[in-house]
Amino acid sequence: MMEYAWLIPVMPAIAFFFLATAGRRLPNWSAIAATGTMAAGFIIFWFVLADWLSMESLPAVKAFGFSIDWMKAGGSTFTWGMVIDPISLVMLGLVTAAALGIQIYTWSYMAHEPRFTWFFAVHSLFAAAMLTLVMADNLLLLYIAWELVGICSYLLIGFFYERRSAAEAAKKAFITTRIGDVGLLIGILLLFAKTGTFELSAIFALVENGGLSDTVITAAAVLFFLGAIGKSAQFPLHVWLPDAMEGPTPVSALVHSATMVVAGVYLVARMFPFYEHSESAALMVTLIGAFTAIGAAAIALVVTDIKRILAYSTLTDLGFMMFALGAGSVTAGMFHLLVHGFSKAILFLAAGSISHGSGQTDIRQMGGLWRKMPITAVIFGIGALSLGGIPPFGGFFSKDEVITAVFDGRGLFFMSIALLIGFMKALYMGRVFFAVFFGKLKPENEDAHESPVVMLAPMLVFAFLALTIGFVALNYTDAYQGFGYFVFAGEHQEAFHLNKGIAIGSIALAVSGFILTWLAYVQGSLKTEPIIRRFSGVHRVLINKYYVDEVYQWVIDKVVLVFGRFIAFFDRAFINDIGVNGTGAIATTTGRLMRYVQSGKLYTYAMGMVVGFLGLALAWWVS
Amino acid sequence: MDASAVAFTFLAVLILGGALGVVTTRNVAHAALFLLLSLASISGIFILLVAEFLALVQILIYGGAITIVLLFALMLTRAEEFSNVRDNPQWAVAAVAALSIFGVLGGVILNNKLDTQELAGPSLEELGTELFTNWVVPFEIASLVLLVALIGAIILARASDVEESQDAGLASSSRTDTDGQSREGRS
Amino acid sequence: MELYHVEMLSAALFAIGIYGVLARRNAVMILMSIELVLNAVNINAVAYAAFLDPGRLVGQVITIFVITVAAAEVGLAMAIILRLYRTRATANVDEADSMKW
Repeated sequence: MMEYAWLIPVMPAIAFFFLATAGRRLPNWSAIAATGTMAAGFIIFWFVLADWLSMESLPAVKAFGFSIDWMKAGGSTFTWGMVIDPISLVMLGLVTAAALGIQIYTWSYMAHEPRFTWFFAVHSLFAAAMLTLVMADNLLLLYIAWELVGICSYLLIGFFYERRSAAEAAKKAFITTRIGDVGLLIGILLLFAKTGTFELSAIFALVENGGLSDTVITAAAVLFFLGAIGKSAQFPLHVWLPDAMEGPTPVSALVHSATMVVAGVYLVARMFPFYEHSESAALMVTLIGAFTAIGAAAIALVVTDIKRILAYSTLTDLGFMMFALGAGSVTAGMFHLLVHGFSKAILFLAAGSISHGSGQTDIRQMGGLWRKMPITAVIFGIGALSLGGIPPFGGFFSKDEVITAVFDGRGLFFMSIALLIGFMKALYMGRVFFAVFFGKLKPENEDAHESPVVMLAPMLVFAFLALTIGFVALNYTDAYQGFGYFVFAGEHQEAFHLNKGIAIGSIALAVSGFILTWLAYVQGSLKTEPIIRRFSGVHRVLINKYYVDEVYQWVIDKVVLVFGRFIAFFDRAFINDIGVNGTGAIATTTGRLMRYVQSGKLYTYAMGMVVGFLGLALAWWVS
Repeated sequence: MDASAVAFTFLAVLILGGALGVVTTRNVAHAALFLLLSLASISGIFILLVAEFLALVQILIYGGAITIVLLFALMLTRAEEFSNVRDNPQWAVAAVAALSIFGVLGGVILNNKLDTQELAGPSLEELGTELFTNWVVPFEIASLVLLVALIGAIILARASDVEESQDAGLASSSRTDTDGQSREGRS
Repeated sequence: MELYHVEMLSAALFAIGIYGVLARRNAVMILMSIELVLNAVNINAVAYAAFLDPGRLVGQVITIFVITVAAAEVGLAMAIILRLYRTRATANVDEADSMKW
């Protein structure tokens, strides 16, 4: 079955081509085609997974790959290839499951959109690109899929392109991620120049046996991480992610959980041998991850738009994953990616359900909504508790795995930072959960209502997954032996182990975070206004997102545009007037003079031929 | 001086004399007859070069077909002018160019005398076998070329009959144009 | 009779033909000059077949093709000249000069 794994990305790709060509004539088929192919991919994934788990001597086999020749150029052969290994299997499962559930949710959520078919077409292409990305066995295919993901995110974030803000957000996402993509492209070309191949396995072999110099490895690792910074919205290219909220909620759910943003994390995990061999690059990943996580968590504590809170929580968790990867643990990073994918998917879907049912997006306008939408409240609560890190939800296991990995890899100082991030996660999750669902019901929300079953069903499935996914970390059978045995790279494989001290500390912090927010938003004994007044300067900085957008705006206005005007003048005066028009004028003048040669008389032309022949003979004679 | 050398000299004089007649005479009909003389003498050269079949072909096609077609064309076009055609104004330059070409070719030939073998030629049977085995594809293509040329010639010649009435106005107007331009050009 | 004698004859015929092509105004005359040029080439090819080619065949075969193509060319050229004569009432190539600036 494993050799049919290429069907998984092909399935949604078929749906895309079908919908993009015939969708306009068969609008009723669009949802069925997209969801059907996605479900087929999901089913194939399970066969592939079963096939993988049934393989003998699991730990010895690191990957299963196959490829076909694509083209040959200049002595290099380029291939289309797929590789199946635990990292790609985790991603395949997450992407197919998340995309499938979100598409089902979309049936109802987007039912009245005029561009319903287009949404499903691009959504399918998005999933196909992401699935290709995670299965690609060479950097060329990976880069193609990477850019496809980028363009699909642009199309989906700008789905409501009639709204100026949505169009701007789409452009922002595309351009910001492009900055990182350039780094990735340079990294790929650097490796190709040094190794002559795009094959990941060949490149990794060179890295392992010292075939590449340390400088090249570090440079490539940093350049790849630049790509990851763009796609995974790490500081300083994080600015696009909160604005990406302008897309429809299912898009946010997909972008934040399974496709776009985790591509960067996946890339770092995939290229992990580079970071193993380059301590400075790994340290950079750690620092940027931690910095992004803390910075975003602080913003998440003060913003009031529910989707923005979730967006900044995504930034935090992405930073958290990078933190783990930089600390040298692919297992922890991928595990947190998986758990976060499902948890964040339900949070976004539930947030969409809330605004769908009540019409509100600002948490200050909400409160007491659990009476109106109890199922959504339960689902949202599961997601919030999971990401807040309360056992036995999935988020607890993965967060603990990350903290343990950071402790093992980076020591006490970074572990305390990780614990702090965990505490802040609990704080903002508690804040949004309690502020939305508890407290007094506002009069304007009296007619809020629960969402239809089609929207609730996938949310319930994801909620169940978020509730139970943490247990995949544990050791059940000899063939599986827990997530740590399943996904590993670089670090030795090991069963999930709970460091009791760390676990107790993180649970205590998480619970205290939830209690604090409960006090503040439900019980009311802890007032937030005095704290805000006391730290009004800090609050203003946080609300304005550290003025990063303003700084970028200033740079663009004062530096880029000024430079651009100079370039434009140069282009107008030198390139256009002298270079292009000048050349044209020369050609025109020459032509005007030369046309008198064209007498139209046959014998002149014949004479020209003869003179030409004589000239050639003369030239031959002279030489 | 053996017999073949005498024959070659004689034929060469005829060929070059005929050719010069073709390019110098002012009467087109005379030119055609000079051409016939030249081409028929070439078939004699072919016999000297042991290519009897080609000598026959030369007489049949050039002497018989092509010259006759040329004479037909003369008959169908404006015959009254053909007794005294003028050369174009660049004839002096043309003479220099032709002499230069002869100089170049002659220089190359005389400076590179090749080692030759005993003069001999294939039998007609050998030629036929070669033509219809190793050269059969080019031969068939040549047949197609002839066919296409034939059809093309018919279409070109016929179309004028069919479109005569439509063309009449257009042709006369374009003629005045051309005349006007050429007058301008001369003045 | 040596090879270079025949080659010189061929070269002379070729040069005369070129002169005709360059110096004549009448299209029929130009066509005749082209025939001279083609025949110069034929003489050369046959001479090479007789004097140089061990099989003594290729030059003759090529000559046959040249003659074939020449026949096709004369037929087409005659048709074109007739057409030119009907539309322009002339057979002089310098009066058909509308393809100029």
